[in-house]
Amino acid sequence: MARRKKPVPRPIKTWFGFPRENGDVGARNYLLVLSGTLYANPTCERVARTLRHSVSITHPLGRCQIAPDLKRTFDTLVAHGQNANAGAVLVIDHHREEGCTAEEIAHEIAKSGKRVEALNIRLGGGAIEVTAQATRIGVEMIRELTNERRQEVPVSKLLLGLNCGTSDTTSGISHNKATGWVTDQVIKLGGRALLAETTEMMGGEDVLADKCVRPALGKRIWAMVNKMEADILACGVDLRGSQPTGDNMEGGLTTIEEKSLGAIQKAGSAPIVDVIPYSVRAKRTPGLHVMDTPGHGGESITGIAGGGAQVLIFSTGGGHTINHPLMSTLRITGNPVSVELQRDTLDVDVSDIFTGTPIEVAGRRVYNEVIDIASGKMTKAEILHEDNAFAITRTGPSV
Amino acid sequence: MAKVAMMIDKTDHVATCIAPLRRGETVELMLSGRKRKKIKAKQSIPFAHKICVKAMKKGDQCLKYGLSIGSATKEIKVGDYIHVHNIESNRGRGDLENN
Repeated sequence: MARRKKPVPRPIKTWFGFPRENGDVGARNYLLVLSGTLYANPTCERVARTLRHSVSITHPLGRCQIAPDLKRTFDTLVAHGQNANAGAVLVIDHHREEGCTAEEIAHEIAKSGKRVEALNIRLGGGAIEVTAQATRIGVEMIRELTNERRQEVPVSKLLLGLNCGTSDTTSGISHNKATGWVTDQVIKLGGRALLAETTEMMGGEDVLADKCVRPALGKRIWAMVNKMEADILACGVDLRGSQPTGDNMEGGLTTIEEKSLGAIQKAGSAPIVDVIPYSVRAKRTPGLHVMDTPGHGGESITGIAGGGAQVLIFSTGGGHTINHPLMSTLRITGNPVSVELQRDTLDVDVSDIFTGTPIEVAGRRVYNEVIDIASGKMTKAEILHEDNAFAITRTGPSV
Repeated sequence: MAKVAMMIDKTDHVATCIAPLRRGETVELMLSGRKRKKIKAKQSIPFAHKICVKAMKKGDQCLKYGLSIGSATKEIKVGDYIHVHNIESNRGRGDLENN
């Protein structure tokens, strides 16, 4: 029988990442092939398929959006280029998309100090020609990226994203509690965590406002939840069925308030130091940051990746395949049924909380996995290319 | 060994069933790792769904985590299964005229 290798002692207060010029540290060192508009998506995908060590980000937007909506697309694309997990970036657009050109996106990304190149399909001689150009530049970029070494950095260099999905009544008492323990641990070591999902703050505003270091931040949380609720009321329908979703209710969650009170357990007990808009880079202040995102999992974690998170804990009741193409997304659950049903994409099982394992022990297990993932271990969905969760939330209609 | 239902806050009206319950089955309530009283399930309750531990009248706020998760839509007795058939949300109700 093959003997298992003795495990290397795990660092507790450090991880291994790629330090960037601007002080950020990447948990990955990918070449990001970023699409400026939906008509550049196939070229981006062709380039990324050709180049080992690259990931593509594509989307249906970048054109015919009203100004504030287009600005959000632009800002979100820039923020992804700036995310520390991208070591270098190729931005490709199709025509000159007013307000969202590859040059403008690349110009903003370059401010982070990383190498970035912009290509335009029309001006570059067509889809095949630009595929060749981008591939050639990409080869050189990846040669450089793969010659960089991971370095030991403190946990204070980690921005941990927090999100839950397919929540059920196990969420608030098992995996979200374990996640909250990890949040506290990361923040105790000088790091940052990013809580989001405004819909799932409905009913928990007071709890969150009490955690804020300044009353003005609490008011901002109230304001963003009120806006979300006003938008729902303006539709003239009952939120139930959409939130909680059908699968939430099947899992025992009766109301959005119940779902919210379970969801905010991910925040742990740390104070809230800032409240920021969708996909805006979080400040360097250690502590818990809150971002205004919708309850839609893909849109929410896209905002969090734009905020700069390198790793995200996706805490799920029903199990999940969700995975962001650039931000390492680990899926955990405490629901023993989901452990069986969604084993293929489950990274950490904390269902032993229901047989008496203390939250701290389960939380430590998740924390260790976060450190490992940040240091280069791949999540199951990352290995499987389950890159299903890049989705920019919209503020307006297509026009 | 008796089946367990977890309470989160001592003011809560509900507990979470850690195992599915059959109608008439007895369940032991736990709060902060300590055993409390035993109650009998009046209906079958699926895994991780809620059982009533404190009676409510129609319109009462139903507490979990020590906070309201909605209003009772009818009288609810100790041991009743609690879900969408007897509790409704107070939030995001664009369907109600007075909103």
